[in-house]
Amino acid sequence: MRLPMFEFAEAESAAEACRMLAGAGPEAALLAGGTDLLVRMKRGLLCPQRVVSIRRLRAGRPAVARDGARLTIDPLATMTEIAADPLLREACANVAAGARAVGSPLIRNLATLGGNLASARPCADTAPPLLTWDASVRLESTGGERSVPLHDFFTGPGASALRLDELLVAVEIELPAGSSGSAFFKLGQRAALEIAIASAAARITLDRPGGIVLEARIALGSVAPVPLRARAAESLLAGREPREELLAAAAAAAAREARPIDDLRASAAYRREMVAVLVRRALAAALASAGGGQ
Amino acid sequence: MSREFQVLGGRAPRVDARDKVTGRALYAADLKRPGMLFGALVHSPLAHARIVRVNADRALRLPGVKAVLLGKDVPQVRFGVSPARYDETVLAQDKVRYAGDEVAAVAAVDAETALAAAALVEVEYEELEAVLDAPAAMAPGAPKLHDMYPGNICAEVHQEFGDVARARGQAEVIRQDTFTSKMQSGAFLEPQCALAEFDHAGRLTLWSATQTPHYVQRTLAMVLGLPEHRVRVVKPYVGGGFGPKASASSMEIATCLLARATGRPVKTVFSREQVFLHGRARHQFRHEMETGIRRDGTLVFLEHRAVLDGGAFASFGIATVYYSGSLLGGPYRLPNMKYDGWRVVTNKPACGAQRGHGAVHARALFEQQLDLLAEEIGMDPIELRLKNVMQAGDVTCNDLNMSSLGMRECIEAVRADCGWDEKRLERRPAGRGIGMACGFFVSGAGYPIYRSRTPHCTVRVRVDENGGGVHVLSGAAEIGQGSDTMLATITAEALGIPLDLVTVFSGDTDLALDLGAYSSRTTLMTGHAAKEAAESVLRQILEALARAAGEPAEDFSFVRGLLHLRGAPYLNEAIRAEFQKEHRGFGGLPAEGPLTFREVSRFAFLERGLIIGTGQYRPPPLGGGFKGAAVGTSPAYGCSAQVAEVAVDLETGQVKVLRITGAHDCGQAVNRTQVEGQMHGSMSMGHGEALYEQVLFDARGRIQNPNLSDYKIPTALDSPELKALIVESHEPNGPFGAKEVGEGGIMPTIPAILNAIRDATGVVIDELPATPERVLAGIRKLGRPR
Repeated sequence: MRLPMFEFAEAESAAEACRMLAGAGPEAALLAGGTDLLVRMKRGLLCPQRVVSIRRLRAGRPAVARDGARLTIDPLATMTEIAADPLLREACANVAAGARAVGSPLIRNLATLGGNLASARPCADTAPPLLTWDASVRLESTGGERSVPLHDFFTGPGASALRLDELLVAVEIELPAGSSGSAFFKLGQRAALEIAIASAAARITLDRPGGIVLEARIALGSVAPVPLRARAAESLLAGREPREELLAAAAAAAAREARPIDDLRASAAYRREMVAVLVRRALAAALASAGGGQ
Repeated sequence: MSREFQVLGGRAPRVDARDKVTGRALYAADLKRPGMLFGALVHSPLAHARIVRVNADRALRLPGVKAVLLGKDVPQVRFGVSPARYDETVLAQDKVRYAGDEVAAVAAVDAETALAAAALVEVEYEELEAVLDAPAAMAPGAPKLHDMYPGNICAEVHQEFGDVARARGQAEVIRQDTFTSKMQSGAFLEPQCALAEFDHAGRLTLWSATQTPHYVQRTLAMVLGLPEHRVRVVKPYVGGGFGPKASASSMEIATCLLARATGRPVKTVFSREQVFLHGRARHQFRHEMETGIRRDGTLVFLEHRAVLDGGAFASFGIATVYYSGSLLGGPYRLPNMKYDGWRVVTNKPACGAQRGHGAVHARALFEQQLDLLAEEIGMDPIELRLKNVMQAGDVTCNDLNMSSLGMRECIEAVRADCGWDEKRLERRPAGRGIGMACGFFVSGAGYPIYRSRTPHCTVRVRVDENGGGVHVLSGAAEIGQGSDTMLATITAEALGIPLDLVTVFSGDTDLALDLGAYSSRTTLMTGHAAKEAAESVLRQILEALARAAGEPAEDFSFVRGLLHLRGAPYLNEAIRAEFQKEHRGFGGLPAEGPLTFREVSRFAFLERGLIIGTGQYRPPPLGGGFKGAAVGTSPAYGCSAQVAEVAVDLETGQVKVLRITGAHDCGQAVNRTQVEGQMHGSMSMGHGEALYEQVLFDARGRIQNPNLSDYKIPTALDSPELKALIVESHEPNGPFGAKEVGEGGIMPTIPAILNAIRDATGVVIDELPATPERVLAGIRKLGRPR
């Protein structure tokens, strides 16, 4: 099948992309990697009259820039770049792992971080890891720029705080002080080309290696209408010594917070049960890389 | 082996490898004809409905639309696979029988317009109650799909061999188990495609992605009312079939009818969704088996009941329901076997044949039962199998003759290679398991699908008049399995010439008769015909030479294309001189050493004129006299043993198959690399069926996952390490002793994996696929700690 007819425009700058979007409403669609948009257009699910390509905006910038404790990730970076980025692998390993879990090599070579977030699927593999780092997204329009915490960004399946005239221009992480470790686990029927049955990301920050938990973050995929923070589970861990029983209790709490549904991939009951398993594993792995545990 | 082979049994690259690797190979969808139109089909959105009214006016008014055919516009001739169950029409007549049933066909100037027009065909339905599974179809008072199938029973089988009631008394340990599978898709790479064109004389050519050009030709002739010789079916390269492409489809016929209606070539290409809607892949099976043994492990009886959910039409279903029973007759000595099978119709896409036709899931349950029985009597599963294994010359209780059978050798090969004895004894980490299973399969169905004493194939080998090469003209269907390379190899071996002197033309009903690529028949049957034709050619050449040389023809032979007399290189100066004279100005002529095939074949042409050898193959009468005895009979049987090693995540239920070690007896290997490729293919496919594959339906009978994102097959990352061990026997009925490797290799894969899962977890998987959720539920049921 061929794509339906559309008008094509290519922006040279974020400002130009915003001008192209301004006032266009749902008639325009942004093209970055195209792994979601073009597939949906071919299937007739989307029929934008205008496609605005932002692929040129990347223009040789590094995928990730570090300024002190602040990491700025280019949303046009591909999943392949995110998965391989040395800064992320060092500081936020679960973000790289999330990107690595997307689709297949062919898809990861095209798909962008911004696309994964902006499509706002509950199963987006990079969302739970970024949520554990309290990441925020910078959104730009002709009216100016605003920053939205990622945990306020997702509003429903396929719905987000991103307005039709806005462009996602940066993903930002403020690295916490202390000794942090993170992990991401995705459960699927097969090892690639898979929409998660459930996924879990965790980040644990210790006051010092072998010390107590300053802060813990747990985020879940595919078990709620949005990528979900498990706040009750997180609060069990803060200020405590990270013993195995505590991690298990937090995992059980996360399972209670999940709001899964039955679908053709798995039952809600199985998903809830898997949240406990995945969170326990993610916490244990995060703790180990934070220098905790035995 | 009794003789040294020159080409056979080697590892030559496939004859089509370069074309395929460079993308030069043309598939049906690549073909274009001048003035070509594009076809599209209108599918029913409802599973069961009466067609009240169809209106094509809006579609016909769309610019670019050249024809719209409705049910009333097409021949009412019924077709199908088995003549006794012709139950399909090109387009639905009075009612639709599944969500996807074809209601209208459109031809337009491009594919987009054709699809847009298809969407404009207005169909008014009166929805009928649908039956969506076998129990619903068999329930008293169930809505009826076809008048010809009372109670929705499309076929039933009742067979008993030996005396099961009496044998039951002799058994010391008896197990009863059930097993359910799901409807599948063949998941081949290339969606079906057909391109039809009538020439000015009214002769039809159809290029189609089919496994069976001959059956398609017959069906087109029958439905279109044309003599068979006015219909030519050409199979370009085909991207896999696995069974679902082994019969004529309404899409193919509708494409021809659109070409006739418009006077222009028409091409129709299936989308992946249409591949699922058309179906014809593996049935959904439910098996119940009671198996009894003695405490020493001797098999005593099997009582087997199967219900096959066949979807809306018969397709291959009669054969499927027979195969389900008959292919449990071996490879173990089983003196008493009773089988009752029912194949029912439901309002879902029709099911048909798929690799290991009908027998794969029956085998999956039976081989699990053998493991469970072995455990009950405290015997190693391999020892139990060796205790009962058949050997060459044995005949099963249902009259299948194992003319060669390296079953024991296959078992011993995998046992040694994977280190079974050590691995079964050692303490394994939690969740690790190892399991094995065996199986056997036909080397070609003993009888054609229509009743006839026709040869199953003919082959011509023609010697190039200029000398130097031979052309093999065959109707065999190269669908990726390697039959062109097999034909080239057998021809080269029979003549004693290198592979590159042989050019194969195949897959065209104008070239030769061939029943096609199904039932793992091509190597044994078409290979036989090619060998016969090549031997005839060799005889003709050597006779011409013998007269000139004054030596007996039978004392000459070619060795790698060089002439030998009684084993020594042979030169005839006169023949060489004549060849040189004819080729003044040519470079690279044979100058020294023995005469070459090029010179001798040219000389033979000059002496005798056109040299063509013909060959054909028809199996000898096979099987017993009981009803259905024909299904399962074959001139030969291939057999396999496999060991699977798995790691199960006891908390999530995820199964990772780490390694499959497989051994297959293919008789004499024609090309070892291709034999291994077929074994790898079978193991991969079985792996997919065991763990991932299922066509899912919603409550109204619509497919929920008609794409390869949601219909899961294993990715490279999921694939286990595969080890293929070739076990060679000499099959007396095969060309050079060769027999099948196409389908038999899938028989043990599913049960080997399931036996390994049980070894790892204690869980008996009684429903496929073994998804993480299902495996975990089994673990929970056993009360393992969380």
